[in-house]
Amino acid sequence: MSFADLFIGAVVALCCGLDRTAALQVMISRPIVAAPLAAWLLGDVAVGLQLGLMVELLWQARLPVGAVVPPDDTQIAVGATVLTLGMGAVLEQNSLAFTLLCLLIAIPFGKFGQFFDRRARLYHGRKPSLSAKMLENQQYRAMEHLHLRGLLSFGLASLLTYLVIVAGGLVLVPMLASTLLPALEAAGHWLRLLLPLVGIATILGTINVNRSLTLFGASFGMAFLLMWLV
Amino acid sequence: MKKQMPPRVLLHVWLRLLLLQCSWNFKQLQGGGWFYAMAPVLRRLYGQKEMQQIAREHLGYFNTHPYLAPAVVGAAIRLEIERSQGRAPSVTMKDFKEMVAAPYAAVGDALFWGGLRPLSASIALLLAAKGLVVAPLVFLIIFNALPLWFRIYGFLNGYEQGLQSITFLQRHKLPDLAIRTKETAIVLLGGLAAFLVCELFNYQHTPLWSGLLLLPLILGCGYLARRGFSTLLIVFLVSSLTIIGCYFAEDVVVWLP
Repeated sequence: MSFADLFIGAVVALCCGLDRTAALQVMISRPIVAAPLAAWLLGDVAVGLQLGLMVELLWQARLPVGAVVPPDDTQIAVGATVLTLGMGAVLEQNSLAFTLLCLLIAIPFGKFGQFFDRRARLYHGRKPSLSAKMLENQQYRAMEHLHLRGLLSFGLASLLTYLVIVAGGLVLVPMLASTLLPALEAAGHWLRLLLPLVGIATILGTINVNRSLTLFGASFGMAFLLMWLV
Repeated sequence: MKKQMPPRVLLHVWLRLLLLQCSWNFKQLQGGGWFYAMAPVLRRLYGQKEMQQIAREHLGYFNTHPYLAPAVVGAAIRLEIERSQGRAPSVTMKDFKEMVAAPYAAVGDALFWGGLRPLSASIALLLAAKGLVVAPLVFLIIFNALPLWFRIYGFLNGYEQGLQSITFLQRHKLPDLAIRTKETAIVLLGGLAAFLVCELFNYQHTPLWSGLLLLPLILGCGYLARRGFSTLLIVFLVSSLTIIGCYFAEDVVVWLP
């Protein structure tokens, strides 16, 4: 994997990571956007679409409500994309099985995203008392700058998560490739189907809507029937 | 006649609201962002000495949905303008923030995170499954249209109406809209699931009816999620079973007639 690949991934990880909480929130942080964006910059947008498709729905049900910090699916998507394209070039692998191997290795490292994000928020916990002191000294501009400095900690949390995922992948992918790739070759297409289905299932299981199963069953059945008959 | 804030200052505040959560923390949540957004208005309305007293009221806990925060801040600007003209507001700034933030947060979370996000994703994923590179753009356009409208209209409405703007949620029937968006999302997710299943089964030349057997799997995973099992655990459970199943499938096929 070249330094350029790592750097491009880091820039995407930073921009998309900031979009998660700290800035804009225009949803470029969603895996269906972040993974194709990283893949497009690295030269193969199709891999990004595959990864976006598989990751997007997995944690949709974990809403960023109040003090809840969901797992960092942004960095999972970006990290898995960089690993797939960067290491794929080195190991001469470009199959769906290799993409899945990188993704399945990246997914547990997403927990680090939660940890780093929480650390950033805890670090910000000293800002209210600092702000109060600045207010007593009538340093209003300093209070505003103190707020903006939060971008640094959220950005750092995103970058650290990305680096942990990529570093973990760099160690584990070569170790596990020979063992798991044959099994993933056989199961690849099934997993490409089942990962979005797991995401849909978790949304169904947690969404707060009356008759959600009826609506889902009816639309699934109708669409299935149409595609069967047409 | 209502005193107006220069459009440049309003634009400045609105842009600052895009950075509302920069200093998000567990003590005051978006409190730092609230002061950051209001600062240009306070500087415009008050002198250095008065500002200290006023700014103290703007520090502290604040938490609402980031897309509906402009509506709250817009109304707060109107309240500050009235106060600067010597008209005592009927509620304190702290009470106003507490009164408005929680309902806006609840509706915003249900509408944008719980409804619109899966709805937009399901449409984009249908396109991604067909390999169309416009899928991310479609997601961004579908998802952002409504939040952008709320960010702009909510801000201007709050600014014009002041305290009266608290009827914003009811006037636009946002709780109903949230439920309908969620229901639409579920219908689309059902269609997406059926499409993905049919796509694979056609590709593998497997009888299509057997795809219906995946419904219990979806419902089973949904049940596990409802019982509090983590997504990570479900993903690895399903992945492991799939890999093991596919690994032994060839051996099983040999024994079949």
